[in-house]
Amino acid sequence: METPETPEARKGRPTYRSHLIPRTRDGWIATVTFLVIFALAMPPFTHTVWDRLYPTILGMPFFYSVLLFLYLALIGVLIWAYRRGV
Amino acid sequence: MQPWVIATSVIFVYLVLSLWLGLVANRRMTINLEDFLLYGRKAGFILLYLTVVATYHSAFAFLGSGGFFYANGIGFWAAGTWTVLVGAITYVIGTRVWALGKAFGYITPADMLADFYESEAVRVSVAVVSVLFTILYIQAQAQGLGYIITVASGGHISYPVGTLILLVVAVSYLMAGGLRAVYWTDALQGVWMYLAVWIGALFLAYKLFGGPLALWHAVETKAPALLSVPGPKGLFTPGMWIGMTVTLSFGVVFQPQMMIRWYTAVDAKTMKLLGATTPIYLMTLYIPTALIGLGGAIVLPHLAVPDQIFPDLLTRYAPAWLAGIILAGATAAAMSTLDSILHANMTVLTRDVYQRYIRPGRSDAHYVWVGRAIVFVLLGAAYGLSMYSNPFLVTLVTLSGSGALQLMPAILGVCFPGKRVLSRAGVVAGLAASMVTLYETLVVHPMLLGIHGGIWGLFVNFAVAVVVSKFTEQPSADTVRRVHGELERFVYGTEE
Repeated sequence: METPETPEARKGRPTYRSHLIPRTRDGWIATVTFLVIFALAMPPFTHTVWDRLYPTILGMPFFYSVLLFLYLALIGVLIWAYRRGV
Repeated sequence: MQPWVIATSVIFVYLVLSLWLGLVANRRMTINLEDFLLYGRKAGFILLYLTVVATYHSAFAFLGSGGFFYANGIGFWAAGTWTVLVGAITYVIGTRVWALGKAFGYITPADMLADFYESEAVRVSVAVVSVLFTILYIQAQAQGLGYIITVASGGHISYPVGTLILLVVAVSYLMAGGLRAVYWTDALQGVWMYLAVWIGALFLAYKLFGGPLALWHAVETKAPALLSVPGPKGLFTPGMWIGMTVTLSFGVVFQPQMMIRWYTAVDAKTMKLLGATTPIYLMTLYIPTALIGLGGAIVLPHLAVPDQIFPDLLTRYAPAWLAGIILAGATAAAMSTLDSILHANMTVLTRDVYQRYIRPGRSDAHYVWVGRAIVFVLLGAAYGLSMYSNPFLVTLVTLSGSGALQLMPAILGVCFPGKRVLSRAGVVAGLAASMVTLYETLVVHPMLLGIHGGIWGLFVNFAVAVVVSKFTEQPSADTVRRVHGELERFVYGTEE
């Protein structure tokens, strides 16, 4: 049976600044840009704004082309982050 | 010579090549557990890249995705979101898993989680979830192999015989050369399958429509419903889009065959470059499958089994030698995933079960031979499972992805230091609750309230893990300092 830990045990445990929050300017740019573009490739945008055939772009349906552009942009963010050492 | 003989012969040439690579790997192998299970942690970028993408893309990419575009339309282009996410997860989480594996000698995902949460219950739970859900993946790959060989041979090689031949080849090179053989064959398979699907799609697009743009135009005019979401059958609702994005990204990369690959990278730079560039291969593979599925819906409507659209188009419209090369690519897609899963299950069962609880303290040579015996048993299991038919490979993959996805709270707890830490009881309780939830929301009430079962499972998992952790003992200060301190140094170069 597990027991609740004592205040002493809790006190001795080290704590770290959250790794979920970027700590550098480049980290912030990469994270925010990725999340914004990723959100654009998800519902509700996919099922409302992008869900149309026309205008076609380079001969391909609008929905397909816009998402292809967003996916390439996301890959671009990852490569940028790698090159900047994020 | 009859077309089926030519097509089948090309596939057999590919199989002989794979076996040869396995034998060469065997000669280079040393009797050492890290070499047999982890390629000695020396995988460079190109080899690691090809094995990761070949393992990720399976019979599902070749057969399931084309079938999905065929039956449900452009909604499957959501595939871009989960393939890009796989890169981001590898970049952020994969590098951390690699760093901890290198620092503390982890071999399996359970090694890492059991060490941090200081719990054998966590080790056993993770090993069970890992094996249980990847067995579903084995079934999907083995069935894909059966379909391919049956279609290529025009029915002259039966489904049970064809499946057995291909499984025996995969198991043979795995037993001979361990992960080295798997990596080398994956490299061949990764290149072959990518070229095959692109060449096949472009050939069919030009032959049947006059080019890809003409194909798009034909779909626009003859079947516009296929170019809109949620698609003609209403499948790709927002809930399904989000559910597939999460389960086929986090759910696949947390499967043991993918996490074990992270441990094998030669350095951190390789891991980051891997994360930044894998989506290029993974995402662009779905461009030709969209052409195949959507074009196929115009040329061959009303197919009983949508997954067979690509092989059906090839056998009808491509010369036999080309169909053979492309179907060998499909075989490569299925085998590269299958051998990796077999290897991962072997690793988990050898390391987390046999070495830990049954015969600890034996020589590396002993464990290598036990690993080979386990692979032989898995061959029997894979063959037995492959005899249960299910036309929608992708559904099986989604089921297995939902299972591995449930490791997410535990993995994030290790990889992301912060103020709150999960406890061993919280992790086990969360996993148990998520399994019950998965059964309810994937099998009993699928898409409950329009939300994918994997998401329901994850939500319950997180909630239970956090609440139980609040009232139970968390990992010791020493362990938190050792593991999270290592991550703090690795990521930021600072101390606590």
